[in-house]
Amino acid sequence: MILDGLINGLIMGGILSLPVLGVAVVYGITGVPNFAIGLIGVFGGFTTWYFLSVGLPLAILIGIGICFPIGYLLQGVLLTPLSRKKEADSTLFFLITISFGFIVEGAIRSVFPKPTISIAFPRLGAIHIGDVSADGFKFVALFVAVVALIAIRLLEQHTKAGRSLQATSQNLKLATLIGINTNQVFSLAHGAGCSLAAVGAIFWGALYTLDMGTGWHLGFMGFIIAVIGGIGNIWGGLISALLMGMVMSFAGYFLGGVWQSVILYGIVILVLIISPRGILGSERSI
Amino acid sequence: MAEPILRVTNIIAGYGPISVIKGIDFNAYEGEIVGLVGPNGAGKTTFLEALVGNIEIREGQIHFLDKRIEGMSVMKRRKMGMVLMPQEDYIFPFMPVKRNLQVAAVLSRDEEKEELLDFVYGLFPVLKERERQIANTLSGGERKMLSVGMCIMANARVVLIDEPSIGLAPKIVTALFENMKTIKEETGKTLILAEQNVKILKIADRIFGLEAGKIRFCEKTEDLDEAVVKELYMGE
Ligand SMILES: Nc1ncnc2c1ncn2[C@@H]1O[C@H](COP(=O)(O)OP(=O)(O)OP(=O)(O)O)[C@@H](O)[C@H]1O
Ligand SMILES: [Mg+2]
Repeated sequence: MILDGLINGLIMGGILSLPVLGVAVVYGITGVPNFAIGLIGVFGGFTTWYFLSVGLPLAILIGIGICFPIGYLLQGVLLTPLSRKKEADSTLFFLITISFGFIVEGAIRSVFPKPTISIAFPRLGAIHIGDVSADGFKFVALFVAVVALIAIRLLEQHTKAGRSLQATSQNLKLATLIGINTNQVFSLAHGAGCSLAAVGAIFWGALYTLDMGTGWHLGFMGFIIAVIGGIGNIWGGLISALLMGMVMSFAGYFLGGVWQSVILYGIVILVLIISPRGILGSERSI
Repeated sequence: MAEPILRVTNIIAGYGPISVIKGIDFNAYEGEIVGLVGPNGAGKTTFLEALVGNIEIREGQIHFLDKRIEGMSVMKRRKMGMVLMPQEDYIFPFMPVKRNLQVAAVLSRDEEKEELLDFVYGLFPVLKERERQIANTLSGGERKMLSVGMCIMANARVVLIDEPSIGLAPKIVTALFENMKTIKEETGKTLILAEQNVKILKIADRIFGLEAGKIRFCEKTEDLDEAVVKELYMGE
């Protein structure tokens, strides 16, 4: 049972870590929390589902690809100009991105023929750990999350664009003064974040079902888990996603499904009271 | 003397409805060090930020390399050859020293980067020794050296530094200012330094005295009555 819980926690954590990475990239760099990010990801998931007839790999690429310009434009056209106004505070961004989420929700409902979908993936063989066995595919999300994270880190360290990204998140004013096109950095980061959210949504759609509720759920969970890990600290985001996956899995086992969220959000509040910058510390305050 | 590289005529700037800079004339020539002195709140920072376009001016003109720049973005002015190192938060705190220097060279041409880095390391050997150290673990003096090094990497013709000496021990200030002089002599850059430290009188070619948003005097350093300047502008 312990092993069962651990494995389920890993699966859950793996899948949550993708939208968490998306949120971590967007919020960590632009400083704007986008509560619509889950819905945008779900839009990518629906797009993948819609295009399944062209083959899964291509459909996935289309789903992930379409989310990039959505994030890019959302940042460049709406959020960046807004953040220059002095009235701009977190409440304003909260309201605006939530509203945008509802617009995306409406768009999904009107464009796609079904409100709930699941995406058929080829099954891998079962993996046996001890006397527990689980479909190998369920671990792919975790694998993808780790690969994405390592890729982000490598890009940050070794490319000029990555260094500009890092510089912008660490000191926006200096980055602008020194000659980095920080507006473009913001747009790129937001595009990348939305694409990561799409990857998360696609996996969610492959393991469970995908609907509008999933979008809000993934967005909020992603945001909260990213904060717990320390905003801007993407390793912290992954670790925090895995921990939260475990918490949900074990709370589900020992106390039953109804208690999952109570325990989870109880822990969230506790962590934030004790350490407002998350467990691994943040390079940005909330 | 030739035309100034930077010429400011009667600019007014501020925050919201308040004017902090109340009509300033200013100029700087190629290859000189200009000191901008004045008490706390005089408007030194505001003035420098207006020059690079970080805040908009309400009135007046700024000529840089014979072009009007007051309507240009920070990026445009930066590309024309002007850079400001701010008074606070002048490093990228969670990057190693060397990456700070590399980032500062974003707009420099690839073939000059190595040479610039050698120059910085020659000037501040401690930065080379500590090139892998995370910037926010440096001492205050080392951090300042890093920020001056970043100005060199930025490879601008006009470098504005907001209070380079702030918070440094007297000995370190002397050394840092000597380095400024070396930079000027070896690169021909124009350095505009906002300062409250009297040692600025040892390196600046000219001094502008700023008080309550207005220029009170502009003199060659050798013509200044040091005692008066110290009393009025350096809080001594
Ligand atoms: N962001 C701001 N909003 C409103 N007022 C400001 C702002 N920044 C500065 N001021 C005001 O403008 C005036 C000039 O400030 P500034 O920072 O330019 O002075 P300074 O000469 O650089 O002072 P110091 O030597 O203390 O750095 C001050 O009265 C200050 O309160
Ligand atoms: Mg100042």
